[in-house]
Amino acid sequence: MKPDSTLTLALAVLILTLLTACSREPGEADTPESKTYVHAMDGAPGSLDPAQASSIYANFLVVNLYDTLFRYRYLARPYELAPNLAAGLPEVSDDGLTFTIALKRGVRFVDDPAFPDGTGREVTAGDVVYSLLRHFDPDSRAQGAWLWQDRIVGLDAWKTAGADYDAPPEGLRALDDHTLQIRLVQPYPQLIHTLAQGYAAVVPREAVEAYGIELGTRSVGSGPFRLVSIDRARAVMARNPGFREEPVSLAAEGYAAARDGDWGLEAIEGRTPPFVDRIEVEFITEDAARWNSFYAGETHFIKAPVAQFERILEDRDPLRLTPELAERFHADAEPESGFVYTAFNMDDPAIGDPEDPGQAARNRALRCAMAKGFDWETRNRQFYGGVGQVFPGVIPPVVPEFDPGMDRSPVVHDPEGARRLLAEHGWTAENLPELTWGYPASVSERQMFEQFRGFMADIGYPPEKLLPRVYATFGDYHRAYSRGELSLVTTGWTMDYPDAENTLQLFFGPNASPGSNVGNFRDPTFDALYREAAPLPPSTERTRLFRAMNRRVIEECAAITGLNRNLLMLWSREVIMRPDRSFIGGYGFRFVDLAAPTAL
Amino acid sequence: MSLPRYLLQRLFHGALLLLGVTLLSFTLMVQFGPDTAFELAGKNTTEAQLEELRRSLGHDRPFLERYARWLGELARGDLGASDSNGEPVDRLIGRALPVTLALVLPGFLLGNVLGLLLGMLAAWYRQGAWDRLVLGGSVAGLSLSFLVVIIALQVLLCTPYGLDLFPTRGWRVDGIGSYLLYVTVPTLALVIVTLGYNTRFYRAVMVEELARDPVRTARAFGASGREVMFTHVLRNGAVPVLTRLLYSIPLVLVSGSLLLETYFGIPGVGKVAFDAITSGDQPVLLAVVTLTAVMFVAVQLLTDAACRLADPRYGAP
Amino acid sequence: MSGGALGTLWRSRGGRCGLVLLALLALAAALVTLMPASDAGGAQWAGASLEHWFGTNRLGQDILARALEGMATAFRVGGLVTLGAVALGAALGALGGWRPHSLPDEVLQWVMGVLDSIPVYLFAAALAFALGGGEAAIIAAMVLSFWTSTARLVRAEVARLRGRDFVLSARAIGLPAPLILGRHLLPNTAHILLVQATLTFVAAIKTEVILSFLGIGAVHGVSWGLMLAESTQDVLAGHFGNFLAASGMLFLLLLGLNLVADALQDAFDLREASR
Repeated sequence: MKPDSTLTLALAVLILTLLTACSREPGEADTPESKTYVHAMDGAPGSLDPAQASSIYANFLVVNLYDTLFRYRYLARPYELAPNLAAGLPEVSDDGLTFTIALKRGVRFVDDPAFPDGTGREVTAGDVVYSLLRHFDPDSRAQGAWLWQDRIVGLDAWKTAGADYDAPPEGLRALDDHTLQIRLVQPYPQLIHTLAQGYAAVVPREAVEAYGIELGTRSVGSGPFRLVSIDRARAVMARNPGFREEPVSLAAEGYAAARDGDWGLEAIEGRTPPFVDRIEVEFITEDAARWNSFYAGETHFIKAPVAQFERILEDRDPLRLTPELAERFHADAEPESGFVYTAFNMDDPAIGDPEDPGQAARNRALRCAMAKGFDWETRNRQFYGGVGQVFPGVIPPVVPEFDPGMDRSPVVHDPEGARRLLAEHGWTAENLPELTWGYPASVSERQMFEQFRGFMADIGYPPEKLLPRVYATFGDYHRAYSRGELSLVTTGWTMDYPDAENTLQLFFGPNASPGSNVGNFRDPTFDALYREAAPLPPSTERTRLFRAMNRRVIEECAAITGLNRNLLMLWSREVIMRPDRSFIGGYGFRFVDLAAPTAL
Repeated sequence: MSLPRYLLQRLFHGALLLLGVTLLSFTLMVQFGPDTAFELAGKNTTEAQLEELRRSLGHDRPFLERYARWLGELARGDLGASDSNGEPVDRLIGRALPVTLALVLPGFLLGNVLGLLLGMLAAWYRQGAWDRLVLGGSVAGLSLSFLVVIIALQVLLCTPYGLDLFPTRGWRVDGIGSYLLYVTVPTLALVIVTLGYNTRFYRAVMVEELARDPVRTARAFGASGREVMFTHVLRNGAVPVLTRLLYSIPLVLVSGSLLLETYFGIPGVGKVAFDAITSGDQPVLLAVVTLTAVMFVAVQLLTDAACRLADPRYGAP
Repeated sequence: MSGGALGTLWRSRGGRCGLVLLALLALAAALVTLMPASDAGGAQWAGASLEHWFGTNRLGQDILARALEGMATAFRVGGLVTLGAVALGAALGALGGWRPHSLPDEVLQWVMGVLDSIPVYLFAAALAFALGGGEAAIIAAMVLSFWTSTARLVRAEVARLRGRDFVLSARAIGLPAPLILGRHLLPNTAHILLVQATLTFVAAIKTEVILSFLGIGAVHGVSWGLMLAESTQDVLAGHFGNFLAASGMLFLLLLGLNLVADALQDAFDLREASR
């Protein structure tokens, strides 16, 4: 073969490959009438198996692909539970220990080859039992066990006895195909909330057995949408044609004209969701890229990057977009359901709570001084656009137990006081300990460390004694702080349900790392209060206990805390929706509508 | 050496190379790699659950056993499943590879064709003004960082701060029009960073070939520039050119696409590899590394064969 | 030989420009290490002014000071990688070239083949993990990826030279092999090493920038890669200081190195394609 013909051949092969790569995938054809909503997400989900839906990103998709027993009302704030797959709210026994839940009839899984004849069968109470039990199956890689562990009768014994799905535990039973019964060890007021999470979504056993871990990129559910495709850049969902018909009642969803009146939501009244034929979720982690694609009209919704606030907001209070943007977009701000904080590792003898009482007192003074030296206002301005809400302690302003009248001095920047405190307890630049601060590699995390080092330099902490540790993956970071390699652990908590119990458990002794108590705070007083409050339903008594726990965390200076971020959401005017980015956000997709069919 | 024997020897070498690559990457990525159990663990995990995860992942087995099992699966063509979402790795890569090919091929081809033309121009007018211009330009090109070029092009071509002509990111390709829209900016970036290297390489090849006796004779007898270039020089220079072209394919596919795809959010092999790095997804990383090595071995064989065909002088003692 | 090289270098216009440029940049880097940039920030996103030539970043830190510190990082990382990779490449290449196709040579060839078939970013990332992250890990990873090209060239050159008269006579009078290699052969490869050193320097700096951007190669202190990573967020909000400072200096340093490499290759006539 002559070289030029070799080249020609090579070229031909290349062009052929190109054409194949560019050809349209089957089933992707858009009819002119179809409606596609494009949603930009700032992170990507891992597995879409409900048992592994631990991230908010996975949760968003999972509650659309699968059914949960309960969901949250679309517009009601504060959040309110509503039946979803359940026919109504549960019947609870007088002692608060037995929950009986009736299921809707005639709900079917989507058609899938995993079923014997390829057609989806009816969803039964047995499926709910099966799906919850998966969290206690050692082979399932499930991640939600902490929600139900030690709480449901016989569950832990079921696991040790070999996790036999055909012999479910006493406390988790299908009384018949449409009735589920849960029996608790002690009252668990948050139980219904846990049943509105992606973790509790209902999966058919046939699909788990047919696909194994591959279920992570498939969906065999009964939710309003089914999965068309997912890769690392986006997920595509299509309307589930078999989804049950339940016309929208705005009043029941918590519509309030004063708040929701500007967004055209009235158009969905009485109609049957889901309204769009297709939802494309783009996973765009880089702020710049996310904003650019939104601004260019490539996506319909975005959580605005903080760096952009200055350019997009005419006014922050009340929120107003610049006229140019207001013409194209709606905007709404929502405090995140969660907060960011830096926990001290109480197991670290250099900074934590050692046996020696004298050292313990000095360490406490050191922690308190570092907290005083931390400038939350600057952190807020430089990283959160100045719209975050700084608050003392670990009960964020988004839950009803928050106390607006609290003493704010723990979050007031007081470098002078910090220096004084250090001097009083004999801390000098020479004897201050070397501390390690870790973060998963990212620009912002690194800048936050540099800023922290600057704050500390200001109270006399030598910068060379604050050592950064960078981790390429979140898992490595998790491992490092779980093994006590870090003195300070900076993290954020996104709440799983709207209850302060969910943030207070971050400081409960038995939850120490690798659990969510990343600072290994083990305070007997705190733990006793937590145990006392756990079985109580929301009440003034419970609020009193919660606030007492909060004070313990502040007194011990267990963490530099906290800031509740304010999320600014923008969406195109052609979309009819009220977005939410918290744990309930995924439930909003079924109510999204487009004013007119648009081609992006 | 007879051709079959020769091929057999090359295959043996290839197998040895693959063994080395897999052993090295398995040691680095598995033995010393991140603990995937921590990556997969949920919010409020316990040591016992981490242990269960490790057992489910097979990470509780001794290193050699794991390596042997992995090699066995590899030999059967089974690349395993992604740790992060359970998707079979062959499907994952099978979906990503066409995207990467479609993304980098235009830039790769254009970079080489332009480099070849500029190289010819410079070599023909060696030491002249054209030569100096081309060489000077290529030095500047060599001094550009890929990352800088990408950022600058994105700002200039894809944002309101510049011309705002192309989408900023993504890959929503469903026809030739949208393909051109998405591929243009990455292609430009790729051409800009590779052009300097390519031009210098092709110029050197051309200068060497132009200095050969038959070519000088042809030139002396008044053959036209086009005739000399395309009949003599290109054909004789085919060996180094082919070698370079083939050898750069695996590199462009993985290393070149890594940055482009990460930055532009394109779901190709580079993005898959990057995500695997940042989530410690060992099966995916191992597969990418192994497939690259397989490509290298294949390319070596191909190059040898192609060069033998293209130039009978090749391989002669 | 290298004294002569410097002279040759100086005589070419490009080489002269490159050397002066490098000297100026090195001086700036040396000066800045005496007064490192501080974390304490002033006003966020200050514009360019006499006080802050490139303005300030998100934390209010002076961008010029950080870019200069990034230059010091580039010289440090580039220098160490170059030193390590060229030394390792020369030593192993000489070893292989001394007895081509002997067992040690075959092993060497195999190791080089293996290393060259792993994409450099993936290899560096995996190695950095294994070594526990940090700057040392990144430097080690780059040394272990970059030595092979030097080794290949040195191996070929040594293999070529060992048949020459001066080597044969040295062997005839019974000089031990290490002595011949160290005294006679390696000095004759100095021109290759010099060119390889500049090319490795360029590769190291480019790679460090990309690894830092990808979050794989976190060096302590400031690096241009980190600044460029910051800048991808900045440019969105219309702040171009980080991008201009980091990319500008990066370009100047790489230009200086490439001009020198170019002049050296010309001087030694090392630019044939099929060496």
